[in-house]
Amino acid sequence: MFYRTAGQFKTSYEADHALFPVRQDAILLGVILIFAFVIFPFTASEFAFRALLIPVLIYSLAALGLNILTGYAGQLSLGTGAFMGVGAYACYKLVSIFPEMNIVVAIALSGFFSAAIGVLFGLPSLRIKGFYLAIATLAAQFFLVWLFQKWAWLYNYNASGAIQVPNIDLFGITVAGPRATAMAQYYFVLCVVCAITFFAINITRGRIGRMWKAVRDMDIAAELVGINLMRTKLMAFFVSSYVVGIAGALFVFLWRGAAEANLFDIPLSFRVLFIAIIGGLGSILGNFLGAILIVALPVIISSVPGAFGIPVDSAMVEHLNIMIIGALIIAFLIIEPHGLARFWAMIREKFILWPFPH
Amino acid sequence: MNPRPDPNELTAPDDGIARGGVLLDVKNVSLSFGGVKAITDISLNVLKGEIRAIIGPNGAGKTSMLNVINGFYTPQEGTIIFRGKERRSMKPHQAVGQGIARTFQNVALFKGMSTLDNIMAGRSVRMKRNIGWQMLWHGPALREEIEHREKVEEIIDFLEIQHIRRTPVGKLPYGLQKRVELGRALAMEPTLLLLDEPMAGMNLEEKEDMSRFIIDVNQQRGTTIALIEHDMGVVMDLSDRVVVLDYGKKIADGPPDEVKNNQNVIDAYLGVPH
Repeated sequence: MFYRTAGQFKTSYEADHALFPVRQDAILLGVILIFAFVIFPFTASEFAFRALLIPVLIYSLAALGLNILTGYAGQLSLGTGAFMGVGAYACYKLVSIFPEMNIVVAIALSGFFSAAIGVLFGLPSLRIKGFYLAIATLAAQFFLVWLFQKWAWLYNYNASGAIQVPNIDLFGITVAGPRATAMAQYYFVLCVVCAITFFAINITRGRIGRMWKAVRDMDIAAELVGINLMRTKLMAFFVSSYVVGIAGALFVFLWRGAAEANLFDIPLSFRVLFIAIIGGLGSILGNFLGAILIVALPVIISSVPGAFGIPVDSAMVEHLNIMIIGALIIAFLIIEPHGLARFWAMIREKFILWPFPH
Repeated sequence: MNPRPDPNELTAPDDGIARGGVLLDVKNVSLSFGGVKAITDISLNVLKGEIRAIIGPNGAGKTSMLNVINGFYTPQEGTIIFRGKERRSMKPHQAVGQGIARTFQNVALFKGMSTLDNIMAGRSVRMKRNIGWQMLWHGPALREEIEHREKVEEIIDFLEIQHIRRTPVGKLPYGLQKRVELGRALAMEPTLLLLDEPMAGMNLEEKEDMSRFIIDVNQQRGTTIALIEHDMGVVMDLSDRVVVLDYGKKIADGPPDEVKNNQNVIDAYLGVPH
């Protein structure tokens, strides 16, 4: 149909290594980017920004970070929420200690704090694998959230125990705090997410990505082709926690505006893990598809039956949401462990072959 | 298709050891796991440029011997001298740095990755661009990637696996998986290549193909090969020298014809009442 690979020949390895070996993929991405940068901002309502667009982007980024660790390097983590918290609290302290610091710099630096903590809690991965490692990261989850509550210096000794985002300007436009407009925040988040996604794609398709996947698929063989397991695993923890930390800083500064320690508790970790699983482990695109599904689902549940005249109260929406997500997780684990990203790959394949069956 | 690679270009890096000189010297090595003695006081050497076979009945300690050579096990006693340097214990990834590569008895490929990525992974140690360049992709990282891709394509041509370049290796038949695994080991450009039962579970035609690849690797690339194999016809035809192990001890060592007629070897293979 629209996809035709016929006539697109590769005459150099450079062309073969291009990001989009098939021209139609590049066109499709261009259309999506035009929608994201131009059409959505001019058509979306305040509600759409706050309830859909911004959270989709931030959750995608968090899932991307987790996917680097779990999907690419094969190290299961249940501490994502806490690592997001480290990024958020680090950014908050940086902004309160150096109020004149550029917000982009503050967010970029805060990622290094969560990366360092991630590497620290990644050390057990050198000895243990699978479920046992998951339990070790769970320890990080509980310990860090406890620390966020007990260490008053982290929230500047506020009586409420919560962190409040001050008004922060970037090039004369307020991007964080109560005065910021949703559109400015959306553009900020969009730019950060695009940049990090670009970097993540490049890392995962090159030498380092291959080393991660080798460790995931068979660690003994990886060691015997000369891959240093310790460095490779810790690098995965570093990069993953860096991205997750950035997502955490954006989560509080560009979306929620305020946060308490229990925001970063285990439900957040699970939510990000669900996005990564439903979207597809070992895929970059999957994070975005998974985030769209998970964020949009409650909005759809609350609005669609209403449009047909069926009243749904908010408690019911919550329960339905949990039930549907649970069913989806089970369905995906059984039917398609590679998630929504694999569905898209299959559809694309069909488009390329159409009208022939195979 | 690439032009046939020039053999002179592909020969292993010169390490000052002439063809026929001692590349690997294993002296009086013993290895035990608790009370189980896997290897008892074995000495053997591998000469540069030869094909050396290690044979013996099941449980004789052949695979343990390979694991000792490439650093996976550390022997309790004895020394190993590789390329003139003595070592006692090392990590497997350090052995790779010294020029030892191996394949496995049970195929140990990266199942979720394509053939191309599997072989490219074999070149990981030779690629140097750090994460900063990798992030940007364009520029030095891409140049390095293409440089190594060219080497990998030479190997793909050599092993005649062009048609499965993009296939995830988990979906390939066993014979091809074995070939991809050989490709991954070759991508490391080893001085010494260890093959653990390269022909296990293959039919006659696949065995003939694999034998041809092994001879070509040895002669065109000048790679020294040590292999374990159970097919005696293959071993006797391929190898320059054969060492026979039984119950962790060396019972014979020499050219194939000599080994074939050795009474100890015949006893070990046919079995005698103990």
